[in-house]
Parts: sequence; structure tokens; C-alpha cells
Amino acid sequence: MHVGMPAIAAWMLVSTAASAAELDIVVDDARGAPAADAVVSLHGAGPPPPAREPLTHAVDQRDETFVPYVDVFRPGDRVVFRNSDRTRHHVYSFAPAKSFEFVVAPGGDTPAVVLDRVGAIAVGCNIHDRMITHLYVSDAPWVAKSDAHGRAVFHDLPAGHYTVHVWHPLLRPGKAEPEQAIDIGAGTATLRFALPLLPDPRPDPDDRERARY
Amino acid sequence: MNFRLRLALLFLATLVAVQAFTALLAYGVARRALISDGERQLTVGAAAVARQLDDISARVADNVQVLSLDFALRAAIAQDDQGTVLSALRNHGRRIGAERMLLIGLDGTVRADTAAATGAEFPFPDLADAALDRPAAAVVALGGKAYWMIVVPVYAPKPIALIAAGIPVDDALLARLQQLSALPNTLELVTLGTDGRWTGVARGDARVAIAPALAGRELPLQPTLLRLDAREYVVLATRLRESERSAPVAVVLGYSLDDALRPYRNVAIAWASLVALGLAIGLVGALLIARGVARPIEKLAAAAHRIGAGDYASSTPAIKRDEVGQLAAALSNMTLAIAEREERIRYQADHDAVTALPNRHAAEAAIQHALLARPVAGALLMVGLARLPEVIQTMGHAISDRLMRDAGRRLRPFAARGLVARATDTQFALWLDGADRADAIAVAFRILDALGVPYQEADLSIDTAPAIGIALHPAHGDEASALLRRAEVALFAALGAEDPVGVYDAGTDPHRPERLSLMAELREALDRNQLRLHYQPKVRLADDRIDGAEALLRWQHPSRGAVAPDAFIPLAERTGNIRRVTRWVLASAIAQAHDWSMRGHALRIAINLSARDLADPDLPTRIADLLSLHAVAPRSIVLELTESAIMAEPDTAVQVLKRLADLGIDLAIDDFGVGQSSLAYLRRLPVREIKIDRSFTQKLAEDVGDRTLVRSIVELGHRLGYRVTAEGIESRAAFDYLRDVGCDHVQGYYIAPALEPAALEAMLARDDDAAHRGVRA
Repeated sequence: MHVGMPAIAAWMLVSTAASAAELDIVVDDARGAPAADAVVSLHGAGPPPPAREPLTHAVDQRDETFVPYVDVFRPGDRVVFRNSDRTRHHVYSFAPAKSFEFVVAPGGDTPAVVLDRVGAIAVGCNIHDRMITHLYVSDAPWVAKSDAHGRAVFHDLPAGHYTVHVWHPLLRPGKAEPEQAIDIGAGTATLRFALPLLPDPRPDPDDRERARY
Repeated sequence: MNFRLRLALLFLATLVAVQAFTALLAYGVARRALISDGERQLTVGAAAVARQLDDISARVADNVQVLSLDFALRAAIAQDDQGTVLSALRNHGRRIGAERMLLIGLDGTVRADTAAATGAEFPFPDLADAALDRPAAAVVALGGKAYWMIVVPVYAPKPIALIAAGIPVDDALLARLQQLSALPNTLELVTLGTDGRWTGVARGDARVAIAPALAGRELPLQPTLLRLDAREYVVLATRLRESERSAPVAVVLGYSLDDALRPYRNVAIAWASLVALGLAIGLVGALLIARGVARPIEKLAAAAHRIGAGDYASSTPAIKRDEVGQLAAALSNMTLAIAEREERIRYQADHDAVTALPNRHAAEAAIQHALLARPVAGALLMVGLARLPEVIQTMGHAISDRLMRDAGRRLRPFAARGLVARATDTQFALWLDGADRADAIAVAFRILDALGVPYQEADLSIDTAPAIGIALHPAHGDEASALLRRAEVALFAALGAEDPVGVYDAGTDPHRPERLSLMAELREALDRNQLRLHYQPKVRLADDRIDGAEALLRWQHPSRGAVAPDAFIPLAERTGNIRRVTRWVLASAIAQAHDWSMRGHALRIAINLSARDLADPDLPTRIADLLSLHAVAPRSIVLELTESAIMAEPDTAVQVLKRLADLGIDLAIDDFGVGQSSLAYLRRLPVREIKIDRSFTQKLAEDVGDRTLVRSIVELGHRLGYRVTAEGIESRAAFDYLRDVGCDHVQGYYIAPALEPAALEAMLARDDDAAHRGVRA
């Protein structure tokens, strides 16, 4: 049975080669609430999509919040931090993938930082403890970020065996990141991830100005 | 143990018991209240201590959290700059009072430690794990010490490591907690050692260690009473927030009952002082009261002893108006009552209840007493009421008592010279001090006057017929008893006599001892036939023939010689011996009559009867039996009686006499003319003969008066149909005169004295010869 699997998969791949395959990933937190901002990476046997030109991502700082909270980069992409607040921000990162430190004046922005190494880079503001954003640099062939419903959908995947890896900024540190394997054929496949997440350290928009105690 | 002591002890025992009971009760109540107060305090205190520790941990956690956000520290951590990290941790640890600071990697290894080498596993991974959710805090035991271990994550900006701060929970902290909680409790932190024993790791109160007392028992999670250092404590333990990996840690609070009771100790001392004072006062008071109670009782006891000894005069002690006083009053009353009763008993013993006069016993004593003074003279008068026995028999004692009371009242004035007493039921005795015979007789007559007035009651009048016997001192005796007896003898004599006043005459005293012996001898004489009958001839004046004889009793006593009839007949009458004498006389005389008639002598035998004989209803039968036994015709005997004998008991006498007459026996009145007989009364009796008393015939020769009297009696007797006999003829002149006046028979010494039967028979023979010759001797 186990021996016969690749043969069946090969058959499926051949028979559905003309049609587009879809992978629907749903990410929940442990309580079943949809988890947005999860980065889903796919590695598979099929030919990867063609590489694109490096891009420059802008991360805005507005209302003492980094926007977006999570952004996905390809190695070689650049990032620019823009200050839309009327306070200064002290942007820093001690991440091994890229560490930097900028003081950004109100209305100013930082020089573009080239993110050439793969890894998750947590960026904070030394003035405002609550401000955090995650720059996820991935070289996986397929990578996507879950939307507000916790969904990330991959289209036109070639049939074949895939490893699905999920990262989330609120995953407990020190623990292995969740990973699942799936064989993709014709049609839509669905994978569900339930992640034990830490509480979101970002303040609610409503009590952003309120002191913690 | 005497009364005082017992009373005092009772007082003291009661006082001590009540005080002890009260003290125990108060102690028990206070102790219970304090225990429950302690339990409440401990419960509150335990909660407070736990809350305060939480507060401390929260504050420390906040502080550590703030430290963890230090940029330089975060940079050093991120860049794994060990030296910087360690110095920063030390620096921050000092700021927050942590004794030990650790940096823990997210993999649970210790990356930096201010107190030990790095690289080891953090011993409390559960705390590290929880710290990512929120700051974690727990009390842990580490190296024999207790720590609040607070773990917070280091964000840069995402968690990159954990900082653990160990705040020592030491004696100082507990002391501070104790101060803050403001509870006077003993506070101790204990941990369970590997040997299973709870050991103390910190103490807020250096005075006492609770942990040793917990050995071998469960942790006292409920308030529990324990002895620590020989003192009582209420103990409550509460478990603290702790790490899974740490040995259990608990806070134990102790509440010292002794300390709580300390404020009461002064109260107890004051109380004990009061009790001691109360005891002293109570003891003195009890002794005083006991003395106050016992003294009068002892006095009363002494008084009771005196009363028992008959001393009524000394008064019972005067005592206050309490119960003992009432007892004393009662004793006093009792004494009076006893004295009064004794006086009454003595009075009753000495007095007659009816007349209230002294009784015989008392009178004898009083007279004896008077005689002791050796008076020159004295007289004892015995007053008797002759009619009283009759009154008692016919009308009862009630009237006789009233009569005697009345008589006593009448006699009372005569007590002025001596004494009036009631001697017997019917007799009073009067002692007249210094009275001689004349005085006594004079007083006796005055008494007769006083008693002579008949006793009067509603429709009743009683003549008491008083008589008085007198005995004189010293003539009749020196002893009261002798005088009383002799006065009584005299009274008996007087009761029967015409003269109601009689002076004792030893000669007629039937109660003289020698008389008693005489009676015994008389009975012996009867038995031994020492009595003899002599016969005095009676001459019929019509033909000068002896046709009768009077039987006269003669007693030839073996030692006394001839005893005169007068000497023993009255005595025999009084002593009841007369009937036997009469019986003997009758038998003897009738036998003699038979004898003579057998020999051809037609003699009428005259036999004397006593008054007492007439009281014998069998007398006629007995005589008839004797007559028939000896074949003697009733006409052959004549029974002679004195007037007084007939008058003594008229009714019985009349009956007896009539029956004798019916037998055909002639009756004669003896000693006619000196008695008080009424002719009218005599007429009713079946009498056939009267015998003129010798006192009228002895002087007939000289005395014209006597001659007239005798002639009148003879004439009277004949007219009434009696034969007339004259006694005591001693001369020819008298003999002749009597023949002249027509007297039927004569007897006396002129003819012959009383003769023995043989002599009389000889005389009869001569008489017969003379008759044949026609001449009188």
C-alpha cells in the first residue's frame, strides 16, 4: 500500500496536469478563532513559480503602530520605515537575519534596508514598547499570509507532495514551528492549523493611549 | 469539731467554692472567647498575609518587567553579551531588592545567574512557561531559603529570554508583614523538607518556633490548638502560591493564648487578692457570727442543765431577738411552765382537789413539823360527816363533792390556830396548836355549830350529822400518825354515840395493838372452847319460882384469868368477831336449854344479841336450825337486845326481828330506859318483854324518884302488853317493892349471881324443895 502511493500520485498528477490545483489553508488559534497574519510556506516537488524582481516594502508607523503587522519578503527585497506620527520612533531589530537601529523623525523615513537573509525579523520601537512588526523573509517557492479570516489560498499548484509550514508572530518561542505534509492532486485541498498563540501584546486600538496600570 | 469551727468552715468552703467556680467559669469563658477571637484573627491574618505577599510579588514583577524593557539590557541579551547582562542583572536586582537574578533562555537553560554558574536548567520551568502569558510568581524553597521567584519575559521586541528575580522571604520581610498586618500573631514560613518534616525557613517573630510543633501532623489548615514551648497557641497555616517543582511552602500563623490572656492576668491577680481579702473577712466574720451563735447556745445549754437540776429561779440568758433569742425565750417560757406544773403537781400531791385543803399526807407532815417544835399542848380534831356515805350512795359523788367543798369552806376559819385538812373522803382533820382538852372541846362545839347548818342546794337540804373525835398531845401521842389514828378512833366512837364530840379513850380503842391480839385470842378461845356460859336465874314474882335464866358469857383466859365481857364484847363487835361469838352462844345456850328440859327443868333461857347480829339476815334461819336440832321449843328461849342495837339499823333490824317473832321466839328489850328508843317505834316491833335497866333498880330502897319511875315503867309495860323484868336486884326492899308494883320477874345478886349450869341446877333443886315446902328460901 505504502509502496503504491507514488504511483497513484503520479497518475493523479498526469491526469490533472492541465487543470489548476488549489490549496486552502485555514489557521485558527487554540480557541478556534481565525488567526490572521500567519505566514504559510509551501515546499514541494513541482516546479516553483518564476522568481520576480526584488521589491521595496514600506512599513508605516501610524498611531504608534507598525502597519502592517506582518509582511512577507523575498530575499533581496528592501524595506523602508516611514513615520506618519508626530512623535519620534526608534526602530530597531536585534534579529540575527538583520539587525538595525534608526531614529525616525516625524514625517521622515529610513533608508531602505536590504533583507538578504532568510528569517523572521522582529522590529520594535525603543520609545514605544508596544510597537512591533514582523518582517518574514522567506525563500519558499510558495508563501502567503493568512487574511483576517485566517485563510491563505494557493492557486495553480502543480500536483505533487508538499510540506506546509506555518509561522506566526505569537507562536510560543522555543517551540518547533508547525508543519504538515500533503499530496496535492487535481481540485481543492484544505489544510487546517490550530496554533497555540500567546496573547497579542499590541494594545487594542480603543485603549491605545491608556496606561497599563 | 465544734459548732463554731464547723460554721466557720462552711462559710469558708462556700466562699472558696463559689469564687473558684466563678473564676473557672470566667476563665473558661474568656479562654473560649479568646480562642474564637484568635481563630478569627488568624483567618483574617492568613488571608491578609497571602494578599500582602501577592501584592509584593505583583509590585516586584512590575519592577522586573520595567527592568526587562531596558534597551541596553535587551541589546546585551540579544547580542549575548554575558558580562554586560550579568552586571545589568546585578544592578537591577539591587534596585528591586532581589537577592538573585537569573536570565533564562527560551529553551529553559539558565543563561546568566547572579548567584551561580550558568548553563543549568532553570529549576522552575513551570514558572518560566507561565511567564510568557503573564508575569509568574511563586514562593519557592531554594537552598534552604525561601524566595518569591518572579519570572518575566524580555521582549526585544518579541520574547527573547526570561528574567527571574528571587526576592528573599526572610525574617525581616515577615516581620514587616507582621507589622503591616497589625496582628499580634506569630508568623512563620515553613517548608516541607525531604525528610517529610516541616521546617521553618523564616520567622516574623523570634520568640517562638512553630515548625517543631508541626512534626508528625497535618498542616493545620483549620485553626488548631497547639502547645509551643509549653504555651498554648492557636495555629493556622495557609499554603502560598508555589511552583510545582518547589517543596511545599506554607505560612503558619500562631496566636498566643497566653499573650491574649495577659491583660486578664492583672484581673486574675486583682480577683485573687479580692478572694483572699474576702476569705480573711469571711473567716473573721464567720468566727464572729459562729461565736455570736454559739455563745448564746452554750449559755442556753448551761441554763438547760440548771433547769434539769431543778433550778428554775436563775433566769435564762437574755439574748438578742434572733432565732437563738427565740429559743432562749422558749426555754424561759418552758422553765416557767415546768416550774408552774411542778408547783401544781406538788400542790396536787399535798392538796385535796375538791376542797383545796391539804390532804392527809400533807396534814401529817405539817403536824409532824409542828410537833417537832415540842409544843406544850396540841389537839387533833377529826371531823366526820356521818351522813356522807349515804349521800354518796344515794346522790352521787358530784353532790358529795360540793358538800365537802362547802364543809371545807366552813372549816377554813378554824385554820387560824393551826391547820385544816381533808383526811379522808368523809373526814376533815384540824390541828390546834397549843390547845388543851378544854380548848379542843370548845372548838369542837363551835365546829359542830358551823357544820350543823344543813347543806343547801337548789331543792335540797342535807344534814351532814357531823361528829368530832379528839386526840390530845402529849396525852395521846407524840407522833402525827398516832394522833391522827387516835382522833379517828375517837371520831368512830363519837359517830355511834349520843355525844357527837368524843375524846380519845385508850380503854375503848379497838385499834390498840393489845386489842388486836385479844381478838386473835378470842378466836382461839372459840376454837378451844375456853368460853363458858353462866346463867343468872330469873324469879317469877307471881309464885317466887325460878322459871328462867339469862345466859351470860364468861371467858376464862389461860393467862389473863377471867376476862370481863365489857372488855371484849364491844371489841368483838367492832372487829367483826361478834357473829362467831353469838353463834357459839346460841349453840351453847340452846344445847343447855335442851339439857335442862330433858331433866325436867322448865327454864326459859335469855340470850343476848349484839346490834351487829341484827344485820345478819341469816340469823333467824340459823336459830331455827339450832332449835330444831336440839328439839327445843321456840318459847324456851328469849332473845335480848339493847335499845341502841335496835335503833342502829332500824330497817334491817325490824326485818330480822319480825322473822324471829314469826318463829315464835320472844324478844326482850334489854337495859330499857337508858337508851333513846321511842316508844312509838318500839310498838311496831314484835317485842314481848322489857327489862328495866339496873340503874333504876339499884337504889329503889332509898330513891323515891326511882321507885316512881320503876312503877311507871312497869305500869306502862303492862299496858303495852309487855312482860316486865327488873335487873340488878340486890336487896330485899327492892325485891319486895317490885313484887308490890306488880313486876313480872326479877334477877340480880339478891337472888343469885350468874351461876355455872350445875350450880343453877342445884339451886333449882332447892327451889323445888322449897316450893314443895311452900316457903321461900
